[in-house]
Amino acid sequence: MTVVVEKPGLQTTIQARPRTGQRHLGVPASGPADPLSMALANRLVGNSSFAGALETTLTGVTLKFRCDTFVAVTGAIARCALNGLSVQQHETITVKAGDVLVVGAAERGVRSYVAFAGGLAADDVLGSVSTYLPAGFGGHEGRALQRDDELSFCDTAARVSPNATPAEFRVPMLNAWTLRAGRSVETPSISDPERLFDTRFTVANRSDRMGIKLEGASFDTGSDGTMASVPVFPGTIQCPEDGSLFIMSVDAGTTGGYPRVAKVTRMDLHLLGQLRPGNSLTLIERRDTDAAIELAEKLAYWRAWLPDIADVI
Amino acid sequence: MHSAGDDLISLAVADTRIAQALASSLRASGDWLEAVAGIDSVVVRYDMTTVSRADAERRLEGASNKVQHAAETAPAVVEIPVVYGGEFGPDLARVCETLGLTEAEFIALHTGEYTVDMLGFIPGFAYIGGLDTRLVIARLAEPRQHVPAGSIGIAGGRSGIYSLPGPGGWPLIGRTSRKLFDAHSSEPFTLAAGMTVVFTAVDAL
Repeated sequence: MTVVVEKPGLQTTIQARPRTGQRHLGVPASGPADPLSMALANRLVGNSSFAGALETTLTGVTLKFRCDTFVAVTGAIARCALNGLSVQQHETITVKAGDVLVVGAAERGVRSYVAFAGGLAADDVLGSVSTYLPAGFGGHEGRALQRDDELSFCDTAARVSPNATPAEFRVPMLNAWTLRAGRSVETPSISDPERLFDTRFTVANRSDRMGIKLEGASFDTGSDGTMASVPVFPGTIQCPEDGSLFIMSVDAGTTGGYPRVAKVTRMDLHLLGQLRPGNSLTLIERRDTDAAIELAEKLAYWRAWLPDIADVI
Repeated sequence: MHSAGDDLISLAVADTRIAQALASSLRASGDWLEAVAGIDSVVVRYDMTTVSRADAERRLEGASNKVQHAAETAPAVVEIPVVYGGEFGPDLARVCETLGLTEAEFIALHTGEYTVDMLGFIPGFAYIGGLDTRLVIARLAEPRQHVPAGSIGIAGGRSGIYSLPGPGGWPLIGRTSRKLFDAHSSEPFTLAAGMTVVFTAVDAL
């Protein structure tokens, strides 16, 4: 009851539930960079939202199945084929032993998610099987997948009724993104925070699961580089002394010594996983109280398809 | 108390030991999704789907009023052998130039006994306070993309030991062979907040 990696792609990892409650030991969240897309894939094969699944990066992945099962692909827009015949993202795919599934390169967005009935079995480290590459633990031997890796499934007794994500629950993959964010009231901080919400940024090449660097404007925090380190979280936007902005993502460190100038709201964090170098990005200001109201609205909308949405985003 | 984001509240505290004690009691309370100490602050992440901002702030304030002193226990002592400068401490020469010290003077000031302020950043990374005031230097303006495991940096009056390879923004002054994090050990973390570390100068890793 396994699947074999024929082409691993640029960086394909097993991701599952984020790690929590250990940030004081320096243990970051890890888990899917786009948890909403991963939950959608798991939903189509009858799994819980954080069952172990594959996260690809830009180039896709090719898999050969050693058993009959069900899979689903969501996230970044990519052409998919089963034994050379086109199959659709966001639909349950029935596979037979010997079948080959190709998830193509991401055409829009960055990360596709491939979920398998029962979920992938992987190394449980510090409370999760999610791969954390910087420390080399979790997932499959703590690393990105390589050719000929053989992955096994947890529970294949699950009965799956083939299904498709309704159109209104397919997250659009864009070239120009807006993220709702709130200012961080901190000293030292930037003198002109309005400019944060008045700039069309470009996603820099240096963007990965640690975080996303933004180009297009430079800010002066007045920091002399000796600020005491402070806790940071996915979504925290730091401004190092070089004046650039850096949005921290799921693998980012848990504390940092650069001024925190803003934070992406909880409701939009899942989009960080799909920001692609060269995409444009605008931050839209949200007060904390308004962000809570809009989060409640977003959860109410999504609950119709993902009952545990509050756990996912 | 100030906002650090839509579901984050940051509270300034008097010192590192109180930050550790407060964060620890907040984690034990079960009231927070996360409670993490900084050097002189604590940040909580609360579930904004069930708790209002005002209630979260009240709860944090109430908890902080109860924790004003850290518990006193005899700290464990861990020796950290360090190769200073050269290929293992690529910034030492520049740091010494900025600080107006010779490398020998730097090493004499840096070796000795310190207290671990906190772990953070990456699994097992140790923030170690109490550096001599002559060793205060700024972080790098642009972080390095690749810092080897065991590297020791200084910034803002603290030493930091990189437990894992990865990006980092502290000027690097040396390296240790001591392993600070092992994911597959039953005790993955060598150090903990409050422990004593002793830096000693050695010639080879």
